[in-house]
Amino acid sequence: MIKRLLIAAAALVWLGGLVVVGTAYLVGLKQASAWPPEPAAQPAEEKNAAKAERAVQQLEKRMAGLLPRGTYIVIDTAANRLFLKEGAKVVREAVVSCGSGVVLEEPGGKKRTWVFDTPRGEFAVKSKITNPYWVKPDWAFIEEGETVPKAMEDRIEAGTLGDYALGFGQGYFIHGTLYTRLLGRNVTHGCVRVGDEDLKAVFKAVPVGAKIYIY
Amino acid sequence: MGRKALAFAFLGAVAVAVAGRAEAADRTGPAQRQAGLAAEYGLAKESQFYFVLDVPGRKLDLRVRGMVLKSWPLRDMRFWGDPGFAGTVALAKKTTLKSPERIVLRPGEAKEAGPAPAPAKPVAKGAAPNPAEYELEALELKDMPKAFGLDFDNGLHVSVKARDAAAQGLSKRLRGALRWYVGLPLRNLFGTKEGKALSELELVFESGQDAQAIYWHFFDGIRGIILP
Repeated sequence: MIKRLLIAAAALVWLGGLVVVGTAYLVGLKQASAWPPEPAAQPAEEKNAAKAERAVQQLEKRMAGLLPRGTYIVIDTAANRLFLKEGAKVVREAVVSCGSGVVLEEPGGKKRTWVFDTPRGEFAVKSKITNPYWVKPDWAFIEEGETVPKAMEDRIEAGTLGDYALGFGQGYFIHGTLYTRLLGRNVTHGCVRVGDEDLKAVFKAVPVGAKIYIY
Repeated sequence: MGRKALAFAFLGAVAVAVAGRAEAADRTGPAQRQAGLAAEYGLAKESQFYFVLDVPGRKLDLRVRGMVLKSWPLRDMRFWGDPGFAGTVALAKKTTLKSPERIVLRPGEAKEAGPAPAPAKPVAKGAAPNPAEYELEALELKDMPKAFGLDFDNGLHVSVKARDAAAQGLSKRLRGALRWYVGLPLRNLFGTKEGKALSELELVFESGQDAQAIYWHFFDGIRGIILP
């Protein structure tokens, strides 16, 4: 008798659960079937449609006005690619190296931290330099376990940045590299390294003030 | 003759109904486009990157200033819950089982971090090593997850998957099916822990790299538009 009662109770619980899950599923299915919503069944009035069409044209014109003018640079930090663009047209595509994402922690008293990311966002070419020298920042010495020099001349290194450099603010540059075998990989301290031929073409094509989009 | 007339009348009625519906869609099109463009203009006039999830166009775009930087076509999508989530949203957080971790260099302990870039595999004499094979101390696209969640400020949760990652083992598929067909409907019926209406969108992309690139490019706080 007790066994039968237990079986009946278990069956009841199981059926109850099934009903709850089934109801939940049907309720959800009804909601989900409303997505994506169909366009409204009632046709808009001719006057409203024409008004909306005019508004669309105005908005499209405004949107077109937001696009960068002239030659500009787009950099994909994930794919390590640089695109030189004019309007929607890609003029040149180059394999580059972007930031490694590594964090450097300074030992000792100051305990400063650096994150080697290529900054993302909208920038502009602020400077164009031929035969640039690298003024080594503190992290370059700390990373190598060396003492940070006090004299400026001890920080200057020639040849590391290649033949050209395009500055885009806060010490970041698009420049050349000695490590061409690592192009296509994320290895830099935040700057964008470009191969010699591509760098020359980019340097010649973009003026100071040209937009740079890094994503 | 009577049957033929009836058939023609029926076909005519269908044609009129279809034409009427197409006309209705045409007429409502500009209003929808206007709303979409107005929302996008609001984001595009700022210099920040934003995304556009184009549901009818079945694609996810990363844009800036109205320009498409990257576009990922959707292979599949499905949805549970409250469908009122379209419009402008902001990414509150990314969730994943194992977040990619940055490598931390402490110069005093540099020896533990390993040597400078070196080929992962021995290279045949004379052959140039493939740069993609170098083991680097870096956080790269390949380190990003292929399946993760995006939580938006309006309560929408988007699950991002790749087709190759979606075709997993039986146990994972069973767990996924149980979650989708039992867990989510129950949560939808009885409400979420936070008491909010459930909105769960699953987006499946063609390759794992697409999903990884989305994880890379979608930073916390990125704003975007969901076009219904």
